[in-house]
Amino acid sequence: MSLPCGIRNFSYHTDIAIIRTKTQWVLFILFMLALSVLPFYLPRSWFDTVNSIGILLIAVVGLNILMGYCGQLSLGHAGFMAIGAFTSALLTGNLHVPFLLALIISGLSAGLIGLIFGIPSLRVKGFYLAIATIAAQFIIIWILQNWTDITHGSNGLDVIPASILSWQFDTEIKQFYLIFTITIISVLFATNLARSRIGRAFIAIRDNDLAAEVMGINVFRYKLLAFFLGCFLAGIAGSLYAQYRGHISYEDFTFQQSILYIGMLIIGGLGSSLGPILGTVIIETLQKSLTNTIAPWLEHTMTFMPTGFSSGLNLMLFGLAIILILIFEPRGLAHLWALFKSSYRMWPFSY
Amino acid sequence: MDILIQNIITGIATGMVYALIALGFALIWKSSRVANLALGQLVLISSWFAYSMLVQFKFPFWLGMILTIAFAILLGWLIERLALRPLIGQPILSLIAITLGLAYFLEGLTAFIWPQGQGNLPKVFPQTSFQIGPAMIQQELLWAAVISLILFILLSVFFQYHRMGIAMRATADDQLAVQACAVPVNRVFSMSWIFACIVAAIGGVLISSIAAINYGLVETGFKSFSVVILGGMESFLGCIVAGPIIGLCETFGGSQFGSSVKELIPFIIIVIVIMIKPFGLFGEERIERI
Repeated sequence: MSLPCGIRNFSYHTDIAIIRTKTQWVLFILFMLALSVLPFYLPRSWFDTVNSIGILLIAVVGLNILMGYCGQLSLGHAGFMAIGAFTSALLTGNLHVPFLLALIISGLSAGLIGLIFGIPSLRVKGFYLAIATIAAQFIIIWILQNWTDITHGSNGLDVIPASILSWQFDTEIKQFYLIFTITIISVLFATNLARSRIGRAFIAIRDNDLAAEVMGINVFRYKLLAFFLGCFLAGIAGSLYAQYRGHISYEDFTFQQSILYIGMLIIGGLGSSLGPILGTVIIETLQKSLTNTIAPWLEHTMTFMPTGFSSGLNLMLFGLAIILILIFEPRGLAHLWALFKSSYRMWPFSY
Repeated sequence: MDILIQNIITGIATGMVYALIALGFALIWKSSRVANLALGQLVLISSWFAYSMLVQFKFPFWLGMILTIAFAILLGWLIERLALRPLIGQPILSLIAITLGLAYFLEGLTAFIWPQGQGNLPKVFPQTSFQIGPAMIQQELLWAAVISLILFILLSVFFQYHRMGIAMRATADDQLAVQACAVPVNRVFSMSWIFACIVAAIGGVLISSIAAINYGLVETGFKSFSVVILGGMESFLGCIVAGPIIGLCETFGGSQFGSSVKELIPFIIIVIVIMIKPFGLFGEERIERI
C-alpha cells in the first residue's frame, strides 16, 4: 500500500530509504526548491505566519514523539517550551553564550524538566498523567511569573536576535532560513527516530505497555526517553521563539497554547511524520487568516452582535475542528492523505 | 487564634465548592470512565447563562435558576449525544482529547456570546458576616458549603438506592455484563453528563455569586482536579473529604507564604499525590492484565 505499483526491494539499502521513486525525488527536490525561494515571493505580511509555523512545527513534532508514538499525553508542552525560551534568553542575554550553544542547552534543560514530570508515567497513565502534566504547566508558568529577579515577571525579557559566528539573523528572511533549517532537521530526526529501534519500542509501549514490558522492552526507560526527546524539541522551539519574537514573558506560554499543540497534532494525525506538518500548517494558516482578516470583517458587518465577539470565534472553530476530526477521522488528515494516495495509485481499478 | 479559626472555616468552605465541582467529574468518571477536562468551562458557560437570565433579562431568581438548570440539562444531553457517544470504545487518548476540544469550544462560545469577559451575578445570599467566637465568617461561604454538602448527600443516596444510580454504578463496573442485563447504557451515559452539567451549573452560580464571572472559573476547574486526584477518581466520599483538605491547604499556605503561592498549592498537591499514592485516598487501585 505504501509503495506505488511495480516497485520492488532488491537490497536493504533501497528498502530503508525514505524517498523511493524518481517521482518522489523530483517532487522532493521541487518542494525543497520552492521552500528555499519562498521568502522572495511571499508577501511581507505572511512572513510572521510562516516563521511561526516553522517554530511551532518543531514543538508539535516533539509532541508527536511523546504522544503520537509513545502514547504519553502531555498537556504542558507550552510550559516546556517556556523553559527553553527563558533558558536561551538568559544565556544569550546575561551570559553572552553563542546562540547555537544556547539552543542546545535550552533544549537540554527543557528535556530535563520534562524528565522530572515524566517520572509519574512509570506508575500512572492516561488521565492521571494528563493531570500531572497540567500541573507541570501551571507550576512552570507560576515559577516564571514569580521568580521576578530573573524572569522580570510580566514585564518579560528582551532577547537579542540569533547570531552564528558573524552572521546576524536580524531580518525576517534570514530568520526564515534559520528557523526552517532547524525545523527540517527536527522533522527528519523524528521521522528516522520512528523507524529505528527506539521508535518501534515507543510504538509497542503505546499499543500495550504491559505486553511491551513482557517482550523485554524497558518501559520506564523508553517512556522517560520519549519525555526527554519531546521536551527537548519543545525547548528548541522555545529558544527559537524567544530570539524570533525579541521579547518574551510567561504570558506567551499559556495552557491554551498547550491544548493548541495537541489539537494541531490530532487534526494532522497522531503517530505519523506527515501529521504534525499538515496540522501545524493548516491550523496556523487558518488561525492567522481568521484573526487578521475574517474576524475584523465579521465585526464590521455583523454590528448587531456585541463588540469583541469574534475573539471567541477562533477558539470555537478550533475546538469544533478537534471534535469533528476525532469523531469522523480519528487518524487525522495524514490518514486522509494516505487514503487519497492509495486510491490515486490504484485508479481506475480500485481493487 | 481568631485568624486560625477564620482560616479553618474559610478553607473548609472554599474546599466544599471545589468538592462540588469535583463531584461533577466523579459522576462522569464513575459511569463512563471518561475524564472530563472541560470541567471549568462547563462551570463558566453555565454561570454566564445564569448571568444572562438574571442580569440581562432580569428574571426573578427562582425562574433564572430553573432556566439555568434546564440549560445545563440540555447542554449535558447535547454534549453526550453529539460528542461523546460516537467515541464509545475509542482509546483513552481520544476520550481525553475530545473533552479538550470541548473545553476549547465552550470557551470560545462564551467569548462569542458574552465578550465582555467579566460579569457580576446579583448576590444570592445575605452579605452580613457573623462571628464564631472571635472569628469573622462570611455568611455566603457557609451557604455554599451547606449547599455542596446537601448535593453530595442527595447524589450519594441517588447512587446507592435509585434504579438509575445502581445502573450507573453497574455500568462503571462492567459495561458488557450490564448491557446483557438490559440496562440502557446509552441512557446511563447521557444521564451522567446531564447530572454533571447540573452540578457544574449549581457550583458555577454559587462561586460566581460570591466572586465574579471571569476566566478565573476555568482555573477553579483545574484546581478541582486536585480534589479528584487526592480523593480518588471514583469516590464521592473522596471528593467531599479531599475538597476541604485542599481548601485548608490553600488558605493556610496563602496566609503563610503570601497569596501568590495560594494559586500553586493545588498543583503541588497533584504532583505529590501522583508520585506517592496515585489512586488517591479512596480510589480503587486497578490491576491490569494483558
